[in-house]
Amino acid sequence: MSLAIASLVGIFAFAWPFLLRRPSSSGVAHSTDAPWIFLVVLPLLLIVVLAEISEGGIDAKAIALLGVLAACGAALRMLGGDVTGASPVFFLLMPAGRVLGRGFGFTLGTLTLFGSALLTGGVGPWLPFQMLAAGWTGLFAGCLPRATGRLEVLLLAAYGAVAGLVYGAITDLWFWPFSTTGLSPQISYVPGQSWLTNLHHFWAFYLTTSLGFDIPRAAANAALVLVAGRPVLSALRRAARKAAFDVVPEFAESR
Amino acid sequence: MTKSLHPGAWWAWALLLATAATRTTNPLLLGLLLGVAAFVVAGRRTQGRAFGFFLRLGLLVLAMRLLFEALFSSPLPGHVLVRLPSVPLPSALAGLRIGGAVTAESLVSASYGGLQLATLLICLGAANSLASPRRLLRSLPGALYELGVAVTVAMSFAPQLVLAGSRVRRARRLRGKSTSGLRGWVASALPVLQDGLESSIELAAAMDSRGFGRRGVVSAARRRATSSALLIGLLAVAAAMYGLLATGSPAVIGLPLLLGGSGIAVAAVLLGGHGVVRTKYRPDSWGAAEWLVIASGLAATLGVVGAGRVAPGSLHTSAYPIVAPALPWPAVAGIALALVPALLSTKPRPQARQVETGELIGAAR
Repeated sequence: MSLAIASLVGIFAFAWPFLLRRPSSSGVAHSTDAPWIFLVVLPLLLIVVLAEISEGGIDAKAIALLGVLAACGAALRMLGGDVTGASPVFFLLMPAGRVLGRGFGFTLGTLTLFGSALLTGGVGPWLPFQMLAAGWTGLFAGCLPRATGRLEVLLLAAYGAVAGLVYGAITDLWFWPFSTTGLSPQISYVPGQSWLTNLHHFWAFYLTTSLGFDIPRAAANAALVLVAGRPVLSALRRAARKAAFDVVPEFAESR
Repeated sequence: MTKSLHPGAWWAWALLLATAATRTTNPLLLGLLLGVAAFVVAGRRTQGRAFGFFLRLGLLVLAMRLLFEALFSSPLPGHVLVRLPSVPLPSALAGLRIGGAVTAESLVSASYGGLQLATLLICLGAANSLASPRRLLRSLPGALYELGVAVTVAMSFAPQLVLAGSRVRRARRLRGKSTSGLRGWVASALPVLQDGLESSIELAAAMDSRGFGRRGVVSAARRRATSSALLIGLLAVAAAMYGLLATGSPAVIGLPLLLGGSGIAVAAVLLGGHGVVRTKYRPDSWGAAEWLVIASGLAATLGVVGAGRVAPGSLHTSAYPIVAPALPWPAVAGIALALVPALLSTKPRPQARQVETGELIGAAR
């Protein structure tokens, strides 16, 4: 429930350039303020959501598993480097969200990016947006339909490719209005234009700047899941079974 | 007096400087802000590398901005510096133009914008290098206590994983198997993951037996109240966002609703923290020095905002025609006051040792 509301606010936070259109004078004022409002609101939003998730109390096993998996993710992030865009962080997020549930996937996504930012001293305005986007990656991996065996790995790999592209697009979206004000109107955010025009501009911006980074990421996600998806899934299932979380473990689909 | 300042105070100071930077594109004022941040960091940092990283990032942003301007923009009219060859593009890109004339005016305009973003980033870099993130993590509100523990576990566990990784790779090499390529990489990463999962369960047992993550008794009514307050706050923020963004909704409800909703949510987060019973090892105190640091940051913000009132137009330097930037006195005075933290007589203390989780991991092994 709270995840749904927070995701809604988060969508606003990412997609405001397309939604904001008020021809009155106050609209002009808000179109310059809006990015700053979201920069302030989004960290608050994340705090509230995470507080709500941990409201009932998280037991020590979940804390330890979260910590260890977030550490693995952070180590993977440092190994991979974000230079080519192909970062192996998501590779762990997706199976974890799939095996351990949506809420766990969301929390793990946010904590992984937070932890790796703390380790490398990279806390900046981009962090809340990345945390939210990575949280969604874990969240929706938990929402995938049921599948077993080969099919499950294929499903996750396809999801990984899509998630890599979508992650790139939405993390571009947050700084797009900042980085392009005053540039050529064909690729920049124009306040007061219709959402279709702005979407077209963003598409041009995305094609020219970041698609080259996102395609390697999507390909790497899919390839990693295809190669190592099954052993990772089974290792996570084994850990979940041993730790006996609140969810009743499913013994039927062990392979 | 030898004590290090509360990390929250440094973050507040840096964020206030960054706020000042968002209000102006005047290169002189931005330069002053940069100078203040660098001076304070040089005197008082606790961890060095972060500031250099952000400095390079800021320069990169500035360079990218200039490059974009030269390649993609339709330039401001004025003095043409160079004519780049221009490339025709397919119609799917909506008449986007690459290359063409580059004017001095448009480069100056882009450099002001880029300098603003770079200043913003470097102010945050100052916060990263002045305040230890581990100590900030310890002053999280109680409602986030468990997740704070999870992040601490992650941060003390990550170095061990690197060691485990090199151990597994050495073992593979000794057995004559390859460690390069995607398959070799995956095959050496998997044992590390399995090892990590095993030790997470051992760590959980160690934490359980030492009462980690234990919650105090909270009445059901109070828990319900906290939970519903969080939900109401979230709903209010969502509605306020809709009010701010959607066409045709009354403009007045947006901002008050946003403030009210955020207030309720923050109160609920603070209230939820009372369920946690724990003591702190060497708690960070919040005293006069911390207030002074925040006040000096606030002086910079107010100075810049005040300069906009006293001398309108001095905060945004025109690029067409190119003019010399103004130097409004309230902004200069305010930014100079932000230097105060560098002069405080306190010295940074080496970071307090992380006892809690690090030792538990050791105990579990």
